[in-house]
Amino acid sequence: MTFLSDVWYVAWRELVIFVRTPVRIIMVVIQPLIWLGLMGNMMQGFAKSPMVGQMLGTGNYLTFMTPGIILMTVLFGGAFSGMSIVWDRRMGYLEKLLAAPISRAAIPFGKAFAAAIQAGVQVLLIVLIATALGVRFATGPLGLLVILLIAMCFSLILSSFSLSLAARIKSHETLMAIVNFFTMPLMFTSNALFPIEAMPGWLATIARYNPVTYAVTAIRQLTLSGWDWLAIASSLGILAGLTIAVLTLSRFLFQRATAD
Amino acid sequence: MATMIQIEELVKVYKGGIRAVDGVSFDVEEQEIFGFLGPNGAGKSTTIKCVIGLLRPTSGRILIRGTDVRQSPKLVKPMMGYASQETAVDDRLTGWQNLFLQGHFFHLARKEIDERGEEVLRLCGLWERRNDSAGTYSGGMLKRLDIAAALIHQPSVLFLDEPTLGLDVQTRKVIWQYIEKLRSEQKMTIFLTTHYMEEADALCDRLAIIDRGKIMANGKPGALKADIGGDIVTARFVAPEEKVSRLVQALSALPETVSVTPMGDGLQRIVARQRGDRLIPEVFALAAKNEVGVESIRLHRPSLDDVYLHFTGREMRDEQGSREEIGKARMTQRRLRR
Ligand SMILES: Nc1ncnc2c1ncn2[C@@H]1O[C@H](COP(=O)(O)OP(=O)(O)OP(=O)(O)O)[C@@H](O)[C@H]1O
Ligand SMILES: [Mg+2]
Repeated sequence: MTFLSDVWYVAWRELVIFVRTPVRIIMVVIQPLIWLGLMGNMMQGFAKSPMVGQMLGTGNYLTFMTPGIILMTVLFGGAFSGMSIVWDRRMGYLEKLLAAPISRAAIPFGKAFAAAIQAGVQVLLIVLIATALGVRFATGPLGLLVILLIAMCFSLILSSFSLSLAARIKSHETLMAIVNFFTMPLMFTSNALFPIEAMPGWLATIARYNPVTYAVTAIRQLTLSGWDWLAIASSLGILAGLTIAVLTLSRFLFQRATAD
Repeated sequence: MATMIQIEELVKVYKGGIRAVDGVSFDVEEQEIFGFLGPNGAGKSTTIKCVIGLLRPTSGRILIRGTDVRQSPKLVKPMMGYASQETAVDDRLTGWQNLFLQGHFFHLARKEIDERGEEVLRLCGLWERRNDSAGTYSGGMLKRLDIAAALIHQPSVLFLDEPTLGLDVQTRKVIWQYIEKLRSEQKMTIFLTTHYMEEADALCDRLAIIDRGKIMANGKPGALKADIGGDIVTARFVAPEEKVSRLVQALSALPETVSVTPMGDGLQRIVARQRGDRLIPEVFALAAKNEVGVESIRLHRPSLDDVYLHFTGREMRDEQGSREEIGKARMTQRRLRR
């Protein structure tokens, strides 16, 4: 029980800071709005062609793209959560946490949990905006709940990975470089913005192994076609497995972390 | 009185190979204000971080009330409070939120946090500003908030790494009062590091002087001063070098003199065996005899500054060694600043 309380108070700090930073919240709302408005509008003509529509699974490119935008937002949000460790280390706050009798694993777990909550808020906003723009979710409110859970799960994976890196990497320049090195390719070698069917062979192969693709596929299934557990089971399984693996990694790395 | 902290042969070698702490041993008694003095890079912070379990010692043993820090960290951590040299306050949170978190990280009940939080905030004079963002606090207030946070779980021993670094004289005195109050009202043991000699003199019951990872002296301030000798006469001579050095030789030969040390810039520091006032006429007589002018002369009782200089001063060592040492010290400082 003390472990859960430790996790909660580490997360509480992140969430208070998040709420206290209005600019961040505004950006969180505006960014998906821009993506949806701009990209949706730009690609709409292209999606009208029946062949493309078949590939997308919908005649509305916005509907196709909303799951991609959800993942993109979650991906970038989670990937940078390691920065808070670098920041805490520089501020001396990490020492404070390490000197307290809390479980060390509570540090990455709490921060990852806070990132997942933030991701959840962002996804809700995106869903609201998308709905206002005419996107309809095939599985209704219950499906949206599952979409939310998948997105938060993905946020846990990304943020735990980023936090694990930050357990060892002490300079924020280095961490930024590594995170950027991963996130952009992860995004653009997935089916987030572009259907796999339309990719050249080599890219399609990469996309099939990309974890982003698993999350997007499951969310897209729930958005476009409806309940089909068989279709999303492998995605859910792989995401769950990855979550456990990355949480375990961060736990291991922080257990050994010291102030030097 | 029982022993609070026991450090035995502590060695810490950092990854880069820097031997920051090199076989340090000493004890701190319960309810004592213990001062840890030393120049930049001497190993003070490193020692503290080993004691509170932030760093793994390379070798040696640290006991808190007889319990090994490495073996039972869960047991000893609640006994210790720590305010780091960097003032680790989150300035995006309010003063109260900082305390609230610290209380929860030490597993206090909500009610305890409310009670203790108010108590320590009042003690540190921050109660009225508790709901303001710590980002709006002055340097002195941040330092006090950091100390307040370290106090919330009523530790038996409080570690303060340079609690008054960079503060003005007034704020420094306020913090001294808090530290005194903690000891007398809360029966706390306090371990502090400092660069300021008046601070150590005003506050500490006992102190240790550390230099390049080794303890150079250890004891009550009064006893350490007495160790040096009698009064100290500082004089500035004006004359060509060989004449001054002849004068210094003559002065050293006097039965009343313990030592004569060049302080640079023409200054000479003469430690008397007992009373310095008797020495002054002789200094003038010898100076006249050696055709050396006396520009200024000053007499004072040994202060902690003299103790410090005596145990860490580069001037005390032979000329060549000292230049290297100063160079090294400067390098260390530069590294620290980066
Ligand atoms: N994380 C680190 N990695 C490598 N070397 C370090 C590290 N921290 C400190 N050192 C080195 O260890 C030595 C002792 O440093 P320490 O911080 O303990 O000194 P200090 O006595 O606290 O100095 P100051 O008065 O400047 O705070 C220095 O030479 C410093 O450069
Ligand atoms: Mg220090």
